[in-house]
Amino acid sequence: MLAAVLSRRRSLSEHISMLYLQVLLNGLVLGGLYACIAAGFSLVWGVLNVINILHGTFIVIGSYAAYFAYVYFDIHPLVSIPIAAVILFFIGYALQSGVINKVVAAPVLTTLTLTFGLDLFLNNLLIVAFKADYRKVTLENPLGVLSLSGITVPIDRLAAMALALLLTGLLFWVLDASRVGRAIVAVRMDREAAALMGVKVKKIYALTFAIGAVMAGAAGSLMSLIYPISPLNSGIFLGKAFIICVLGGLGSVPGVMVGGLALGVVESFGALAFGPEHAVTLSFIILILFLLFRPTGIMGKRGFQ
Amino acid sequence: MKRGFWILAAIIVLLLPWVGNNYFIRLATIMMLYCVLALSWNFIGGLTGYPSFATAAFFGLGAYAGAISQGQGVPMYLAWVIGAALAAIFATGLGLAILRLRGHYFAIASLVVADVLREIVNSTTNLTGGGMGLNLPVLKLGVDAQAKLFYYCMFGIALLTIFTAAYVMRRPLGFGLGCIKQNEDAANIIGINATIFKTIAFSLSAVFVGGAGAFYASWVNYIEPGDVFDILFAIKPIVMVLLGGAGTVSGPIIGAIVFLILEELVWRNFLTFHAGVLGLIVVFLIFYLPDGILDLNYRRWFGWRKN
Amino acid sequence: MNDWIRKDFFRFASFVFILAGILAFSGPVQGAEKVLKIGAPLPLTGPLSPEGQKQVQGYDLWAETANKAGGVKVGSERYKVEIVYNDYQSNTPRAVQLAEKLITEDKVNFLFSPFGSGATKAASGVSEKYGMPTIAATASSEEVYNQGYKFLFGTFTPNPTLTEPLSDIVKAKVPQVKKVAILARNDLFPLAIAQCADVSAKKRGFNVVFFEKYAIGTMDHASALTQIRAAQPEWIFATGYINDLILIRKQMGDLKITAPVVTMIAGPAYKEFTDAAGPLAENVSSASWWNPAVRYKGIDVFGSTENYNKIFQEKYKFIPDYAQASASSVGAIFQIAIEKAGSLDRKKVRDTLAELNVTTFWGDVKFGPTGQIISLKPPVFQIQKGTQVVIYPTEIAQAQFQIGVK
Repeated sequence: MLAAVLSRRRSLSEHISMLYLQVLLNGLVLGGLYACIAAGFSLVWGVLNVINILHGTFIVIGSYAAYFAYVYFDIHPLVSIPIAAVILFFIGYALQSGVINKVVAAPVLTTLTLTFGLDLFLNNLLIVAFKADYRKVTLENPLGVLSLSGITVPIDRLAAMALALLLTGLLFWVLDASRVGRAIVAVRMDREAAALMGVKVKKIYALTFAIGAVMAGAAGSLMSLIYPISPLNSGIFLGKAFIICVLGGLGSVPGVMVGGLALGVVESFGALAFGPEHAVTLSFIILILFLLFRPTGIMGKRGFQ
Repeated sequence: MKRGFWILAAIIVLLLPWVGNNYFIRLATIMMLYCVLALSWNFIGGLTGYPSFATAAFFGLGAYAGAISQGQGVPMYLAWVIGAALAAIFATGLGLAILRLRGHYFAIASLVVADVLREIVNSTTNLTGGGMGLNLPVLKLGVDAQAKLFYYCMFGIALLTIFTAAYVMRRPLGFGLGCIKQNEDAANIIGINATIFKTIAFSLSAVFVGGAGAFYASWVNYIEPGDVFDILFAIKPIVMVLLGGAGTVSGPIIGAIVFLILEELVWRNFLTFHAGVLGLIVVFLIFYLPDGILDLNYRRWFGWRKN
Repeated sequence: MNDWIRKDFFRFASFVFILAGILAFSGPVQGAEKVLKIGAPLPLTGPLSPEGQKQVQGYDLWAETANKAGGVKVGSERYKVEIVYNDYQSNTPRAVQLAEKLITEDKVNFLFSPFGSGATKAASGVSEKYGMPTIAATASSEEVYNQGYKFLFGTFTPNPTLTEPLSDIVKAKVPQVKKVAILARNDLFPLAIAQCADVSAKKRGFNVVFFEKYAIGTMDHASALTQIRAAQPEWIFATGYINDLILIRKQMGDLKITAPVVTMIAGPAYKEFTDAAGPLAENVSSASWWNPAVRYKGIDVFGSTENYNKIFQEKYKFIPDYAQASASSVGAIFQIAIEKAGSLDRKKVRDTLAELNVTTFWGDVKFGPTGQIISLKPPVFQIQKGTQVVIYPTEIAQAQFQIGVK
């Protein structure tokens, strides 16, 4: 009798710690994806000082690219990232040199309203072209689930997370090591000085915006594996990108990674503690708290270091 | 000349309900609602230069405050006052917290407030009906009479807003806000208490919006969190002021009128693409009319020369 | 240079405006033919647009079928059906605005309700004010019909009629069910039906160990599902719209959650669910107000359920689900009432609707005192081997209830 009671108590605490472990793991896996969503957004905001409302729609376009690549050409979503990347690069570059370049120095009201108007247009275009129904990439051979003593991790999410972190790391390396990357950082630090050193600022801006779009497209590609696709999701992605940027510190790639992981874990545990309907509210409240008390984010740095 | 123009306009507005059918009256009521929203945003955005996206938050807050009050038996007009008061108090508190932020950060914070409030309303189902929405008592009045009643009430709220705006602009408050917009640090140096002035402007941007929200709830008899906290309630007033020109009383009004006409035209003629067309209009505005239509208007029609 | 462009442009623009304004506000030219106009305010854009599109398919099919058969008979004359569509952008206040516009400006004879319980309830005030007979194709919550209005009717039975038979079946056929977990979308219909499920389950002695709501637009349900997994319920009940339910089912698979009974409302009724969920859809149960497998012979213009399915498939190349069928039924019911009343008089048609007691392809149609239909027997169905099979009512059952969802 005593043994039965003891064994029951032991498995209860095991149960609880397994629950926490699973929730933590859920949060981290989600967080990796989040980092990728926000990377491009943070770059554009940090360098061009433009809050790109179109970012969410860019992600959706990436998802559609991956979806159609899979449905029509049998290309696995994890592999079709370059396709989405190329498409988004052109869209981003065109938009930037054609439209957004004209308002780069303008006050935030102008740039925010402008990108908002552009987003309304692009998003509506998507809805008309692809309808608002939700599409889903259903793999012929699902990747399955990893399971270790009761804790499960879906392999597709894990793969997406790994790729997301890889891409974000790649971005960081590009900014740090390549000539173009250093030029972007230079422009961020001091526009006039960079111009004096021979950097073509307008071209750098266009390139930066395009890279931001590429990251969004790549994130969208990865997400197509996991989430249903529809133009209506763009606002949700954008909201997450905001929060992650503020959490992690604007314009810093390691900050984006930290911010993304932090948000994933907070949402996961928040849903556990307060119920799933409050998870979103919780993340917004955290955003406001950070804005008030620590706008430079967890990492406490601004710009690229 | 100018005063005569406005009196004539007021008379036209008063007589409007007797000219058109109920749908026309409804449109006219919405137009005045838009005027209130645009003029209110002008206090904090146009005059003070702080890009606030909090209009949606104030509107929704006023709507729910009014709706819940009416549900408790409070008479309709009092419920509107409650909505206005609550929005103003909330704005004061919120302002003290976020007006310290500048530029982008302030914009985001004000944007996010509406979302937070919406989710809070969604979760407190017992009080607000949550995702299922809230019903308001229907007035025991004929259709036509109701349409006219609400029209004149909205007109009253709009008049209040207009007079407040005109008053503020002629007083030290308006001047002080203009200084803050130019250069806040300099304003502080010459003795303007920026914090107090900003907070007053922010509250002014909320009080009539809150009242309008409560009015709106009574008018449509049913509200849902997603509808009254809709981000478009934050974006549209900004577009209207951009359209008509910031910093004056007539600017936001004209912007609101033109915007409504545009919106109605687009909605009727582009069944599936109206949002897109609206977006194009916004982009177009930013590029070609950065100072608003009014800027062109005055100079040509009233014979003033450009300096 | 800039100034010049602005001035000229402004002149031209204001001219265009005024012209357009005049054009826009002037009404359409009336044709010589006798036309029966029915207003259909729908969410053609925005988050609810997929649902709006389904309604369009249903309404259009009815209008086409009725016109092909010569139109609607009003006394000795025949009227051509014309449906006036307007988009309220998934925005409820606009739906109300549109309802008023359709009645006062477009001068429609009758009105189809906007989509969903919320918008229907909001717009019903307008219908009541103007004495306009309105039938709702997609409103089930009793709160919609509890305002004492006389001009609103609906083709969905109250929510408990879905959860009660389901719970009976579970109690009878799956004795190992003791614990129930409920996950509901925080939205009018999904939450209402989840609450009914809660009541039905408790009534039969089940223990509801988990009942949480998730916010609209939730992209990740892992936390909630992890908690459900920890509670190990035998019956999992999830509500939401199709994209939510697809995601939930997939994440259940990710977390390796299994249970004897998994019920979802309202996704599985749509083919998209089975397509997207693949093998995960097996044995997921659901209930709705109609299923293409029911068999009714009616006096409506379609004649029978089988015929309705046939005509629908010919036009759209896929099998209808309850959303389109309900929309078509609303048109067909209006037709029956108008023809019975022999006139387009609103009060007369309204009274005829209130007294109606007929069978249609949709099922038996009799409206209760609140205007909501009371004569339907909503089928319970399950997905077996990739297709929907009806489990209840037993008269039209195609298969037995299967236990175990992996």
